[in-house]
Amino acid sequence: MFKVVVGHSNDPDSVEAVAEILEQCLESLAGEIPQAGILFAAFDFDHSLILKEIKQQFPDLELIGGTSSAEVSSRLGFQEDSLTLMLFCSDEIEITAGIGYEAFQNPRAAAKQAIEQAQSKSSQEMSLGLSFIDGLHLGSSKIVKAIEQELAGKIPVFGGVTADSLKFEQTYQFYQEEVCTDVITMLIFSGKLLFSAGIGNGWNSLSKPKKVTKAENNILHEIDGKPALEFYQYYLNDSSPSLKYPLAVFEDNSDKFYLRVPNTHDSQLNSVQFFGDIPQGATVQIMETDAQGILNSSQTSIADALKNYPGNKPEAAIIFSCTTRSSVLGIAAEEEYKGISSYLDSDFPSIGFYTYGEIAPLQKDGAICLHNETAIALILGTK
Amino acid sequence: MEPNSLDYEKQLKQLNKENRILTKKLQRSQERQIQLEENNQRKESLFKRVILDLEKSRDISEQQTMELSAALAKLKTTQEQLIKSEKMAALGNLVAGVAHEINTPVGNSVTAASTLAEETTSFANSVSTGKLKRSTLNNYLELATEASEIILSNLQRAGELIQSFKQVAVDRSSLERRTFPLKSYLSEILVTLEPQLKKTPHLITVTGDDTIQINSYPGAFAQIVTNLITNSITHAYPTNKPGYIRLEVHQKSEQIVIQYQDDGCGIEEQHLNNIFEPFFTTNRDQGGSGLGMHIVYNLVTQKLKGVIKVTSQVNLGTIFTVTLPLSDS
Repeated sequence: MFKVVVGHSNDPDSVEAVAEILEQCLESLAGEIPQAGILFAAFDFDHSLILKEIKQQFPDLELIGGTSSAEVSSRLGFQEDSLTLMLFCSDEIEITAGIGYEAFQNPRAAAKQAIEQAQSKSSQEMSLGLSFIDGLHLGSSKIVKAIEQELAGKIPVFGGVTADSLKFEQTYQFYQEEVCTDVITMLIFSGKLLFSAGIGNGWNSLSKPKKVTKAENNILHEIDGKPALEFYQYYLNDSSPSLKYPLAVFEDNSDKFYLRVPNTHDSQLNSVQFFGDIPQGATVQIMETDAQGILNSSQTSIADALKNYPGNKPEAAIIFSCTTRSSVLGIAAEEEYKGISSYLDSDFPSIGFYTYGEIAPLQKDGAICLHNETAIALILGTK
Repeated sequence: MEPNSLDYEKQLKQLNKENRILTKKLQRSQERQIQLEENNQRKESLFKRVILDLEKSRDISEQQTMELSAALAKLKTTQEQLIKSEKMAALGNLVAGVAHEINTPVGNSVTAASTLAEETTSFANSVSTGKLKRSTLNNYLELATEASEIILSNLQRAGELIQSFKQVAVDRSSLERRTFPLKSYLSEILVTLEPQLKKTPHLITVTGDDTIQINSYPGAFAQIVTNLITNSITHAYPTNKPGYIRLEVHQKSEQIVIQYQDDGCGIEEQHLNNIFEPFFTTNRDQGGSGLGMHIVYNLVTQKLKGVIKVTSQVNLGTIFTVTLPLSDS
């Protein structure tokens, strides 16, 4: 048995909202006790209160989550300022949570801590990880790399960087009853879980592909021996780099790429700062898109996930989409989830959040990496 | 009563919730409005800055245009001065040539005259001392006749030279308009170039229609021909092989065509478009100013209202074709 239920409230009042999602979940659970859950909450809620209420309702629940720029679910569709919870019940799959602290200072130790803690509570072999991490210190790509290194290809991990609606002031991660910053939270599914994923970004190349000749962490200095800012301004008609023009990064001559979003630039040094590291020696290309590109690609992600599902009866979908995508869509932001949900039955449980970065393998069985401006659809089930 | 009050309570609860949601949405939309306003202000100040920058760069470019115009004017003056000094230098050469050329007949005359003077003194002595013999008389008469002839022919030659130099020099410096026979004038120009040409193995001929009379600026023709020939001598025969330079004139309806042709090394195609440009020379090391052909071009096109064309084949030679209106007045 593998049962998934979803609660979603757009009531801005924390007490009312948590009461509403718990009521919805209890009703759907119909007496089943959930083993684990994921929670996405807008920044303004009283997160401690919410976590305490959930814990009180389900004392043994393994819960992780975080703050988001917007939330989606099969109950209310796309919402800003809402609270949404997905609960998993199973008598065959074990779902356990772990946390690693001080992720930015020592990402490797934090990743190890989170994985080991989750793994220690389970008796079966791990099959999939979900992870939510802090995203404000521009070091998220290092944290994702640490998770990849610690797991050494044992299981794929999906997830996202917690967000705060483009305020860039503070984001929180949730672990059980704790509201944290600077942590790695991890929910590990062990046992015979079936899953598949699809990745869609919908960005098209604007520039020629060029080599990164000088980069330091998340600061890109030179492309093809010329200042990075000049490269951008050449293609953007002298405008400054913005989140509407991310860089596609191709590593090790691969034809698969991930995106990096420009954050700020330095007109003195002619360098560009990104959300996430840019590896020296990689090939990069400036990308552009429009609303239709965004909408088409998120539908590609869910379609691919459904097509590749190894069983015949998936139970739930989890969506991670970048905050910048909703910002490109503007007032049409709700259309992205509408497009995705058109591939799913109306009572098929789904949940998702708008992130500051998406975590997923670059390709099936490939290394886990941090994406930006991308939509990731994950499908779970046991049959 | 009981179910009704429950309904009310439910409705009230729902209304309260909706109120909270709407308040939150309002709050978010107010935040967005503030953000939009800030964005607009930022954009506005950015625009202002851009406009300011544009104005500044417009001022700079205006200043630069002014400086460039001044520099251009100065350059033009310098160019004119150079052309003028080139003309003066050519005139100087001409004067030197004249002096050299006239030196020979005058020298010959002086020699003949002094011999005649010596012989006359000796003859006079013989007469006064009464020792005059018939043979002495005959010898003296023979010598006097010969010396007179030498003196006469040489002075005539000097006179001719002075005449032609005078004409060309006057034309060159005054550039006045008159009617003159074209072909024979071209020949006269060659005579004035004789001092330079004598040092070279080249043969120069003038052929064509003897009857063409042209009302124009002879000085311009002198300069054109001088520059064309100087150009050929300087550039076309680097191995000092004897060259054959031909000037040919003919009339073609209302136009006069002067074809100047050498059989030298030719001009490379890459240079052909540049040869009329001021200061273009492949010979600056040897003191070429790069102005000669430019002067030719200006004289033909501006002074004479004609057209000059050049064709060339490497190792075969170069042809300049000057086409002029029979009368431009």
